[in-house]
Amino acid sequence: MTDQTIILLAQLLEPRLSDAALDFWQKSQREIAAGAEHSRFSALISMASRHAKRVPLTLSEPELAACKNAAPDWAPQHWNLLELLRVALICARNDLTEPSFTESFESLFVYADEGETCALYRALALLPAAERFVWRAGEGCRSNMVSVFSAMALDNPYPVKHFDATGWNQLVIKALFLELPLHRVIGLDERRSAELTRIALDLADERASAGRVISHDLWLCLESSHAERSRALAECLWPTADASSRSAIVLGLARAEQYTAVQQLAETESDIQVAHAIDAALGGQLNQTQFAHLVTDNSESEL
Amino acid sequence: MKFFDPHIHMVSRTTDDYQNMAAAGIRAVIEPAFWLGQPRTNVGSFVDYFSSLVGWERFRASQFGIAHYCAIGINSKEANNEGLAREVLEILPNFALKEGVVAIGEIGYDEITPAEEFIYQAQLKFAVEHDMVVMVHSPHRDKKNGVIRSIDVALEMGVPPHKLVIDHNNEETVQSVLDAGAWAAFTIYPNTKMGSERMTEIVRQYGPERIIVDSSADWGVSDPLSVPKTAHLMKERGIDPAAIELTCWGNALAAYAQSGQIDVEALMQDAVIDQSQSYSDNSVLRGQQPRVDEPVKN
Ligand SMILES: [Zn+2]
Repeated sequence: MTDQTIILLAQLLEPRLSDAALDFWQKSQREIAAGAEHSRFSALISMASRHAKRVPLTLSEPELAACKNAAPDWAPQHWNLLELLRVALICARNDLTEPSFTESFESLFVYADEGETCALYRALALLPAAERFVWRAGEGCRSNMVSVFSAMALDNPYPVKHFDATGWNQLVIKALFLELPLHRVIGLDERRSAELTRIALDLADERASAGRVISHDLWLCLESSHAERSRALAECLWPTADASSRSAIVLGLARAEQYTAVQQLAETESDIQVAHAIDAALGGQLNQTQFAHLVTDNSESEL
Repeated sequence: MKFFDPHIHMVSRTTDDYQNMAAAGIRAVIEPAFWLGQPRTNVGSFVDYFSSLVGWERFRASQFGIAHYCAIGINSKEANNEGLAREVLEILPNFALKEGVVAIGEIGYDEITPAEEFIYQAQLKFAVEHDMVVMVHSPHRDKKNGVIRSIDVALEMGVPPHKLVIDHNNEETVQSVLDAGAWAAFTIYPNTKMGSERMTEIVRQYGPERIIVDSSADWGVSDPLSVPKTAHLMKERGIDPAAIELTCWGNALAAYAQSGQIDVEALMQDAVIDQSQSYSDNSVLRGQQPRVDEPVKN
């Protein structure tokens, strides 16, 4: 946590608050910065819901750029205003690196409601010495509340930095199960592995046996190992796949470095959108964000 | 028609119930904290229970397009475990001020003991200090005396009558509650005590003002569809539609919206749910076809 981050939080927050909410924020911030007792701190986190609602932030491009600049990969575009207020109140503490904060922060989770829990997990992206909270972050991923899991798993730079292989693979596969947008799992491009590829391919087999479809985002998980299985899956799905599924397949194969397979599929492709995805795949535009654009653009063109 | 069930214990109910409730037009519920059918033995059990009321259960309800609010309090039965009840009083403020907590409740008397009196009064004091609505559970035995005493003590402690809801009324208690200026709620129990037929006659006799219908469905024999079923019977028996709307929707909304914790405008719109968000092997849906962006039929 740097002073720059605190200033940025205030800059994002203040223009979005009503006069009464602004007053609450400024007074609470001063009180917390001056070392408010835990019970008071906890009450202020709760009471924030009386001043800010769960409305989207709709951040501008310059604001988003400032966020990325303040903390690597920090992307709060899907936070709501109440979450931003709560995270700002947490960051107003003067003891963020101390054991007193660790204890206080952990205790917030015990009494938190659904909205607070999401805000607490989102705060992890900004806290100093955040490795203290790695067990807690894992608890967020074990939650059955999709809102809570999403707060930890999506747009959050924490897991890629701090989770071990088991925790990371579980997060990615659970997000796939829940049909959440995998391109918003920060760091997926870099943290694909042979093990993650195998688990994803096993899941595809399991779904095929059950006669159920699997999300396009499966293809985001694969890397170059288990190449034969990846190609076999592509060949199996291709004949009945719609345009966006075919785009996902070629991008996934290219991500798994199966360029020859992509070229073979390209020979029979006539759909202009898929052809575009093939060009992108062979041209190396295949990171998770590009994948999302290429696959989503296709499905939109179908409507 | 939309319905509001302002007293139901959803932690004890299944997803079938949620589906049927949504299909019957129930748009919002209040889940007051109560006992679990057997006494708890430590404060941690209360912490986890209150936590489920403001977290998991709210999430579960949302998957069926039902808005879930709750009331936090120590019930009268468990108030009799004095040591434990005092520990629970200590942690109560950690939950009572959360988003979506619309009242302190359900509190009051069971056997009317000094231990119950202490816990009731301490919670009334908290409610007055925080300008909260109070939901009172009236005792099943010595009910009339219990109701009168609940009201007297609450007013004495400074709860304004318009922020006081007395629940589980019957023909014998309703007049005292209305005379005091409080809200009179009625629990519709299948087969016993207060049924839909008796409720219809009460609305005919007393009119709809400050009268609230609820199910109090829990882990016992009870019916989570009591509110819509009673509304239909009232309609059949010729009760004015405006009176039905008030007793099965409007009055509860007016009473509990005083908490500032209910977004009335949002409730007036049809719920739109995206169950695909929870389509998983470990959420409440297990392989069913998710229902996306389909307004809940009311
Ligand atoms: Zn009850």
